[in-house]
Amino acid sequence: MNQTGTSFGWVEVVLAIVKILIIIGFCLNFSAIAVWADRRQSAMIQHRVGPNRAVVNLPSFIVQGILVAPGILLGALAALGLGQAHTPQAAIDRMGVSLQLIVLVGWFNLVVLSWRIHRKGALNAFEQAVGSNLPRAYFYAGLAAHVVVGLLTMGLSRRVADGQMSADGAYLAARIASVVLGGLLGASGVYAALRIPKGTVGIRLAGTLHGIADALKMMFKEDFIPKNADRLLHALGPMIAMFPALVVMAVTPFGDQLCFQDVNHNGAFEFSELLRVKGAMARDAVCEGHSVPLQIVDLNVGILYIFAISSTGVIGAAIAGWASDNKFSLLGGLRAASQMVSYEVAMGLSLMGLFLIYSSLRFNPMVQWQNDYAWGIFIQPLAFFMFLAASMAETKRVPFDQPEGESEIVAGYFVEYSGFKFGMFMAGEYVEVLTSSALIVTLFFGGYTLPFLFADGIDVTIGSTQLFAYKMNHLAVTVIQILTFFGKTLLMSWVVIFFRWTLPRFRYDQLMKFGWTKLLPLAILNLAVTAVGVVAIDAAGPGLHATLKLLGQLSHLLVAIGILLMPIGIVWLFLRPVESTRFLKSSSARFANAAGGVKPTPMQA
Amino acid sequence: MEPLDQDLEEGELELPAEPMMLNMGPSHPAMHGTVRIVVELSGETITKADVQIGYLHRGFEKMCERGTWTQCYPYVDRLNYVSPMLNNVGFSLAVEKMLGITVPERAQYYRVALGELARICDHLTCNGAMAMELGAFTPFLWYVRAREMIWDIFEEETGARVTHSFGRVGGMAKPPTAYFKDLVRATLPRVASVVAESEGLLLKNRIFLDRLESVGKISSADALELSWTGPCLRSTGVPYDIRRAHPYLVYDRFEFDVPVGTTGDNYDRFMCRQEEIRQSMRILEQCLEQMPDDGPIDVDDPRIVMPPKNEVYNTIEGTIQHFKIVMEGIKVPAGEVYSYTEGGNGELGFYLVSDGSGTPYRVRIRPPCFAITQGLERLIVGAMIPDVVPTFGSMNMIGGECDH
Repeated sequence: MNQTGTSFGWVEVVLAIVKILIIIGFCLNFSAIAVWADRRQSAMIQHRVGPNRAVVNLPSFIVQGILVAPGILLGALAALGLGQAHTPQAAIDRMGVSLQLIVLVGWFNLVVLSWRIHRKGALNAFEQAVGSNLPRAYFYAGLAAHVVVGLLTMGLSRRVADGQMSADGAYLAARIASVVLGGLLGASGVYAALRIPKGTVGIRLAGTLHGIADALKMMFKEDFIPKNADRLLHALGPMIAMFPALVVMAVTPFGDQLCFQDVNHNGAFEFSELLRVKGAMARDAVCEGHSVPLQIVDLNVGILYIFAISSTGVIGAAIAGWASDNKFSLLGGLRAASQMVSYEVAMGLSLMGLFLIYSSLRFNPMVQWQNDYAWGIFIQPLAFFMFLAASMAETKRVPFDQPEGESEIVAGYFVEYSGFKFGMFMAGEYVEVLTSSALIVTLFFGGYTLPFLFADGIDVTIGSTQLFAYKMNHLAVTVIQILTFFGKTLLMSWVVIFFRWTLPRFRYDQLMKFGWTKLLPLAILNLAVTAVGVVAIDAAGPGLHATLKLLGQLSHLLVAIGILLMPIGIVWLFLRPVESTRFLKSSSARFANAAGGVKPTPMQA
Repeated sequence: MEPLDQDLEEGELELPAEPMMLNMGPSHPAMHGTVRIVVELSGETITKADVQIGYLHRGFEKMCERGTWTQCYPYVDRLNYVSPMLNNVGFSLAVEKMLGITVPERAQYYRVALGELARICDHLTCNGAMAMELGAFTPFLWYVRAREMIWDIFEEETGARVTHSFGRVGGMAKPPTAYFKDLVRATLPRVASVVAESEGLLLKNRIFLDRLESVGKISSADALELSWTGPCLRSTGVPYDIRRAHPYLVYDRFEFDVPVGTTGDNYDRFMCRQEEIRQSMRILEQCLEQMPDDGPIDVDDPRIVMPPKNEVYNTIEGTIQHFKIVMEGIKVPAGEVYSYTEGGNGELGFYLVSDGSGTPYRVRIRPPCFAITQGLERLIVGAMIPDVVPTFGSMNMIGGECDH
């Protein structure tokens, strides 16, 4: 144990820096991705070419290397017998994972290949055979194969548990499966590498490089400052606008905690112990070694810190509007200031009901509560919509983008900004989108948790009947949690960005009226009703509690089914028949030509 | 020290303030067609507005006096550059009125068809741009996509997408292509579906309706006083449409409704245009039905219409005719005439004076936008800055014809 309580551990410092870097890296990189998402969505809705011009030209041998390397590496690892399982049960698990990966790699490659063949034509007989089916046929076949392999693995696992299958057989099966996986990856890598043309290959990554190219461009553009502007405040504005957007992420947990073993039993956290993550954790167990909470700081004021910091964002916009020496930016600054201050109130009040229910202001207990009972959106749906509206207003996104309403006051408070200072405003806006999505996810969508995923693994229990259980080790659970949090945040920001392309903007006075006369009374009403409800439920007997718990578990089940169906839905959307999209893109001349051939050729006028 | 509860006269506590003057335009995202509005603001409310036009003045009327009558067509194309075909038709009718000729029936139907297509383009652009300036970008691009389909037809028919210069005195530059009817019939349902889809995106949206309803209101008396015409007048409830009131070409043979509004606000103007798109489609369907498939497109008068190229190169009469029309122009009898048609924005009038030579003595245009833009000041005083955008957008001011 720590005797003095004041000893200073360098490990904690290093870990804190790592966490800060993770968060900043996430925010900055994904603000570029959010910009891409914004443009990609607009291109999808408006049927036009999205961001696709930014390109990195790589020599073809590097691309071929990238394609071939994973297969060779994995194959070599499997052949050398590294990562050998310790128990037959683990071996079967490993075999199951490998088989699922084989199926995944198989259908994914076939879908991509078939799609390419349909667009560019087949090169040989094999490709003709592959191209004879539509991409979505391979996807559905892959789904079926996933299910079959899953059932097979479960059956084998039961046989091993019963002792009907020998341990050697299990080890061999795991070995073979990983060799096949390596071989499949290698073969498809080689085949893909052979299709790479000589010379250089332009890597576009579906246009995601566009945001990075934009950022680079902004750095090299002229930094224009109006003649009569206040130079200091003009330079300070974007910094003040961006800073709060980044620091609000400090208290948002992106995972539960990482527990390290206390190997030398002296209570001090040493660097050597960083590799010794605890093997398995019991549910609700307290970490006995060194616990590293996966959030930068765990303040006891929790969300109040976020309200405090995010309300300083208004200063940046107001200063920028004032310092630019432009009447349009002054108007924009004024609008930003009044709008953000007004919606701050509604935003805070809309969450009060949740605080009553969670009975905490800190994020970790909130997330745990949601994991134990139900996600926030199910218990406070009204609060969710109010908070969503208020946080859109806080981040100045459409339909609340009056401060920059480009057709009215040109660009509002940043009309006189160019180059990287404008870039900071823009990055700040998208970072705000990300952080507000992270907040929404934490408060209403279970944060880093997934339904039925606990510290000791998956446990699907409805009422008192256990439907499915699967033990997982501590590291795996933590990795899944971290990925879950960032994934949910990205999904939420995709949704938030989506509003932009379908909604016009409010008028300034309508916006104020909406905030003060609709959102605020509703938030107070919500708070009052929730308070009564909480008191009533507390006073009620255990019967009601059990019913509510069961309802919560059913909501978890609903979410779990939704999560499982979502990837299928997304792929189904992307693999719809090709003709439908081509039809929309055709101009009338080409359309008439295709429909009835009224014109011999489009150009023959 | 003064007592804190001392009664102060109203206004004494306020800081001395002077109203803010703000220049909107001529280079401003919402001021399409380069117009400048100097507004005096109290907060965001406009207390005074001064609408200044003339930033797109190109001396079109003077330029017309230098060439032949036929050489005016490229200029009239650029008056209302959103629906150039309507200007072409209007100018042709004016000159023909002076000459006292009527074009063959097929050409009349052809002019109606092309003109109505141009009117659809005009209304699509206006309504789409208005939605875009309110922040709804998607409907704009959908509308423009629909307009693109119609421009494809124009490209097939005239060879140019925007500035066609396709009208001629005494006919059209070319007869319709063999598949003109099929093209239009194939395109109209597609345009209609896009219009309906975009309408669904806008009219089911509370924000959009709030921005339009009872903003920029004008009474029918005021509108008539300002000599407004077109959709802007009809939105106030006056059913004045020249196609119906003073039919020209073959408009009296078609069944169509004249949509009118009730209150004359932005919403009515928007809806009038939406409905007129549908009425234009109705006219187009009947027009294609009635239009003869063959027959002459130009009047049979060698003094007015150029001879075919074959005759120009092979006969002396053809060469002389060609030479006379190109070098001297069409001889229009001396006199003056005022001819008016229903343009995209309202009554598009041409007042022409001829001295009997091949060159116009005076070409005066009566652009619909000029009268409509006069009313802008009246509509935006008392409103807020954001209201300028839909109000100005729904007027569809086109700098090219306004600054004549």
